[in-house]
Amino acid sequence: MIVWRRSCAKSGPFKTFIVGLALAWAALPIVPVRAEPTASAPGAVVYFHAPLDGARVPQRFTVKIGLKEMGVAPAGVTKEFTGHHHLLIDADMVPLDQPIPSDYNHIHLGNGQTETVLTLPPGTHTLQLLLGDHQHIPHQPPVMSKKITIYVR
Amino acid sequence: MYRFTRACLIVLAMTTLDARIEAGAQQLAPAKTPSAPNAKVFFVDLKDGATIPSKLKIRFGIENMEIAPAGVVKPNTGHHHLLIDTELPPLDQPIPSDFNHVHFGGGQTEVEITLPAGEHTLQLLLGDQAHIPHRPPVFSEVIHVRVDPATVEKTRTPAPAGASVFFVEPADGATVARKVTVKFGLSGMELVPAGTNKPNSGHHHLLIDAPLPALDREIPSDLNHVHFGRAQTETEITLTPGDHTLQLLLGDHEHLPHDPPIFSKVIHVRVADTVPEKAPQASAADGRRPSPPDAAVYFIYPSNGERIYPNSTIRFGLRNMGVAPAGVAKPNTGHHHLMIDVETPPLDRPLPSDLNHIHFGNGQTEKKITLSPGEHTLQLILADDHHIPHDPPVISERIKVTVKAVRTARKRSRR
Repeated sequence: MIVWRRSCAKSGPFKTFIVGLALAWAALPIVPVRAEPTASAPGAVVYFHAPLDGARVPQRFTVKIGLKEMGVAPAGVTKEFTGHHHLLIDADMVPLDQPIPSDYNHIHLGNGQTETVLTLPPGTHTLQLLLGDHQHIPHQPPVMSKKITIYVR
Repeated sequence: MYRFTRACLIVLAMTTLDARIEAGAQQLAPAKTPSAPNAKVFFVDLKDGATIPSKLKIRFGIENMEIAPAGVVKPNTGHHHLLIDTELPPLDQPIPSDFNHVHFGGGQTEVEITLPAGEHTLQLLLGDQAHIPHRPPVFSEVIHVRVDPATVEKTRTPAPAGASVFFVEPADGATVARKVTVKFGLSGMELVPAGTNKPNSGHHHLLIDAPLPALDREIPSDLNHVHFGRAQTETEITLTPGDHTLQLLLGDHEHLPHDPPIFSKVIHVRVADTVPEKAPQASAADGRRPSPPDAAVYFIYPSNGERIYPNSTIRFGLRNMGVAPAGVAKPNTGHHHLMIDVETPPLDRPLPSDLNHIHFGNGQTEKKITLSPGEHTLQLILADDHHIPHDPPVISERIKVTVKAVRTARKRSRR
């Protein structure tokens, strides 16, 4: 079940959304959910320092990430109120009860990075931030940014 | 070109030439200043079709009339105007004053001009006290010149006073292994990759066994002139056994030395045949964790010199490394430390922990702090799982902020 769903998740953002939504609904009572989701700190916010929503950027640009009320820790480090950043590019929100996929549309900053350089083709793109715990699973409640739109020139 | 001239005229009329144009307009109706019969202006020693260097002194000749500065009313006099790449302007109006119409209202008879590479035309036109050509007008023939591209000087980027480049290692006179790590620094300016045209910035060039190159042109790029166009501050070079010299020279975005040039003193190193490689051991010996070469920590907010509120969130940025809470030993990670109103502490031992040295052992990347009104300094230092700065240290510049005095009344009204 899980294997099948994961392979589906890689087939495209839109499909992921539909499938994820349907399955989140259908599968919630069936799939044994992890006993203890990692708690996020109250008032935790993840946000973009750069670029800002609606910004025009060159093809190669730096994404700088801010995090309020929580700390950054590399993947694998278990410490209360910490997590590591995931950058979702042109992707819809992933299922929040399982590890965030790792592909071109879901960039893991597993070494605790707080900024990264992206190269994107010209055009309109969306970016969204999602904090993941030591196992790449979003916190409860999830710490995610607004989805921003940028224009690559 | 005529339209261009008119455009210039309009623009200039609104700025500098106001008075002159008015004066000219008044004299438009009365008779124009007569020129002497057989009056002639010409270029001295400059022939039509000549190939000239980019920077050139041009001399003007005049016959049967005399030179008088602008504004001087005297019969049979006038002053020169040099027309560059333009046709004759309207002859019943004051000659425009712009890059294409250069006035010599002081009565000059020579000028040093700098022309870009390519074909150009030059012509002289005499103007009277009000910059209006005489009647009949006195002008030279149009001469065509070609500027030799090899002689074009690039403009050098100015450098601030007190800026310097220096070697961190090896030391002058050191005996080194054949493969030697050279580390260097820059103070008083910003290090940026080649191609970044930003004031007060540049990138390093290492001169190996080479004298300083010509400072008014691009630094050569070869085995003796190594460019660090990605703003690197260290490199590994392999030298043959024997004596060698090393020198640093900063270049701007076009690899041109600054004005004044920023270069280090020449250091001498000796390469022996059998010298143990000791650079890596040295850094391992004192127990400091290595940082990647281009790691940097910096303030996202506030920036240097900014005025901030007493309650401000200080935000930290980290490039090419990751954040890990204290106690987590992972290569290329560390956690932030904020130094408030203190000098940079010693970097070879754990950073102190008190109100002036704030640790962010939970991996925080921002912090709301309260500062008293007045001037304060802030500095960020990344340190490893044991709070010891990395080697080389990842450390921000020490910024100055001014905390505004906020009156309670104002604060309330804002809410």
